[in-house]
Amino acid sequence: MRKVIGVLLAIALVTGVALVANRPGPAGAQGGGTIEATVTYAGAPVVEKLKVNKDTEKCGTEATIEKVVVGANKGLANAVVSVPGAKGGAPKTVKNVVDQHGCKFVPHVSAMMPGEMDLKNSDDILHNIHTYSTANPSINKAQPKFKKVMAEKFDKPEMIKLTCDVHSWMLGWVAVMPNPFFGVTGADGITKIENVPPGKYTVEAWHETLGKQSKEIEVKAGQATKVAIEMKK
Amino acid sequence: MRAAWIVAAVVGTLALGAPALVAAQAGDANAAKALYELKCVGCHGQKGDGKGPAAELLSPPPRDFTSGIYKIRTTAGKAPSDQDLFRVITDGMPGTSMPSWAVLPEKERWNLVAYVKAFAADKFKEPTKKADLPKEVASSTESIKRGKEMFEAIECNKCHGTEGRADGPSRPELKDEWGHPIAPANLTKRWNFRGGASRTDIATRLTVGVLGTPMPTFIDSVEKPEDIWHLTNYIMSLGPDSPHYATLVSVTAVTDAIPEDPNADFWKKLTPNNIPLMGQVIIDPRNFNPSIDLVSVRAVYNDKEIAFHLTWDDPSQSAADPARKLFADAISLQFPPQPSSGPERPYFLMGDSSDAVYLLRWENGKGVTESTANGPTKIAAIQGAEATGKAVYANGQYRLVMRRPLVSKSETRPTFTPAVFMPVAFQAWDGGAGESGPKMSLTSWYYLRLEEPQSSRRFVIPPVVAILTLAVMLLVVRVANRRA
Repeated sequence: MRKVIGVLLAIALVTGVALVANRPGPAGAQGGGTIEATVTYAGAPVVEKLKVNKDTEKCGTEATIEKVVVGANKGLANAVVSVPGAKGGAPKTVKNVVDQHGCKFVPHVSAMMPGEMDLKNSDDILHNIHTYSTANPSINKAQPKFKKVMAEKFDKPEMIKLTCDVHSWMLGWVAVMPNPFFGVTGADGITKIENVPPGKYTVEAWHETLGKQSKEIEVKAGQATKVAIEMKK
Repeated sequence: MRAAWIVAAVVGTLALGAPALVAAQAGDANAAKALYELKCVGCHGQKGDGKGPAAELLSPPPRDFTSGIYKIRTTAGKAPSDQDLFRVITDGMPGTSMPSWAVLPEKERWNLVAYVKAFAADKFKEPTKKADLPKEVASSTESIKRGKEMFEAIECNKCHGTEGRADGPSRPELKDEWGHPIAPANLTKRWNFRGGASRTDIATRLTVGVLGTPMPTFIDSVEKPEDIWHLTNYIMSLGPDSPHYATLVSVTAVTDAIPEDPNADFWKKLTPNNIPLMGQVIIDPRNFNPSIDLVSVRAVYNDKEIAFHLTWDDPSQSAADPARKLFADAISLQFPPQPSSGPERPYFLMGDSSDAVYLLRWENGKGVTESTANGPTKIAAIQGAEATGKAVYANGQYRLVMRRPLVSKSETRPTFTPAVFMPVAFQAWDGGAGESGPKMSLTSWYYLRLEEPQSSRRFVIPPVVAILTLAVMLLVVRVANRRA
């Protein structure tokens, strides 16, 4: 009898703990779950090439414009995965940095929370940071070779297009996200979002040319939830 | 009371003398509707979206007022001030299709300001603030030198070219925010600057940029804020303040041999006759947005030859390449085949079926040729060419020498005679901009006059007269003294 009561108690305790942990709580708490997102695209990669007529020492003789980058197992790179509905979470402490290197924006797609970011120019030639945005004021600032870093502030969530008029093929994106629950897929199409408060969410994937797709998931405490999102044209 | 009137009059005169000080007036948008629909819709469209019926022929395209993006502003924010819009309406935009509307009463221009703002009312919610310019630096040799250093360090040449003639390597790629191709400014022709050519205008463009275009802001991108003024002083040193157009092409008489090298010092000593060119819009294919708008002519003759030294800006050196729809750059001088005594001249557009013209033409890849034309598409080469020449191209500019015997015995070629007014016209093609055949820049008839050779008698006669006069005076004085 005592044994039975003990077992029941143990079950009750475990369930209780599990129930408590399952409640959406402040993120960053130990109870958060992880989202492992895989973004795929069945179509062909789109990479345009352009002959370069200037700054060839820095830019090379051929510029590649990587519009759709597809890796192994149809993994789609440069997709921003986010959880728009998630609340709380500790703000990201690492500053977003985009480098203009080899006449490319590196990384091609980056994501950040509203605030300041650094735009580096490690090419030793003139670039100009020309943003296309609606929620944030658009910028068109020259960044000559002696301006190694320029800080820019983006206060409103938005997908911001980065261009350079000096090198028309240069293209980059900065995703300003409302909460810290986001990631950008790597060459394998995978990204991890950690410390997501448990709960039911819509996970969104955004790609510069393929648009948006979303999926419903449930995040459980201490567990990794896998989600596969397929992008379509 | 009288004093008050005088004060009022003085204040009024001061205000009139300084249009920049005209205080902004609150315009009445509703009052401008009829006027907008009469004067502005043709280009800017009923909805203010820049899609009026004439829009597709214009480059740069008309402003899309619904975007709220304006090129020319003096403000720290994105929105231009009312004065900025008023100034563009009043002065127009040089080098574009936007004319000056100074003919309209001032009140109506302020009403138009309110009317165009209403197309993007949300962009004009906050009051505008004038952008602060760095402390002004007067122009000096040192300032211009520093400006040149900064010009090179910040690589203005990428778009504007090494010598500022809009021939930079990024030029063909440039697009505005609507995706239309856009040309960088030719810094040697500042009378075409869209937002004005004064020192303050130039420093303001460098400080706040030109919105909606590739031209960025430079206030955070120079080494020290006052570099904005050094750059301004350097840019102003790149070209004259105005083209000083000629009304007559004078041909200077020389006794020495005429050099064929367009870069010879000989040519630099001559005063250029600057001739404006317009797009050919009479016959198809028309050229609504001509590339070449000015040719500088230096002309000389000696007892045997006449020679023309032509200088013109062309952002790219191009030879014929049909696959890429590129044509050869070319220029021609046009004369009547024989000078006539009366006012009759052949049709200025390369003659017609009844009256031919003589063309002295240079084309990249072909050199100098002579031909007879009975219209832009009826051109026949003259056999036994007598003309020669040489062209050089550097930093967005052609320099060309074409020479020919002064006298011709053939009926198809004119003979040039001193002191006779000879009709002359010019045509130019920027092959890289797709210009060829009737698609060209041109002038109507001008006159050319060979100055009569100046004899050395002018150095002898005046001193002789002076000495004789002095002698007579001395004589008179002596006679008078003797009588006394």
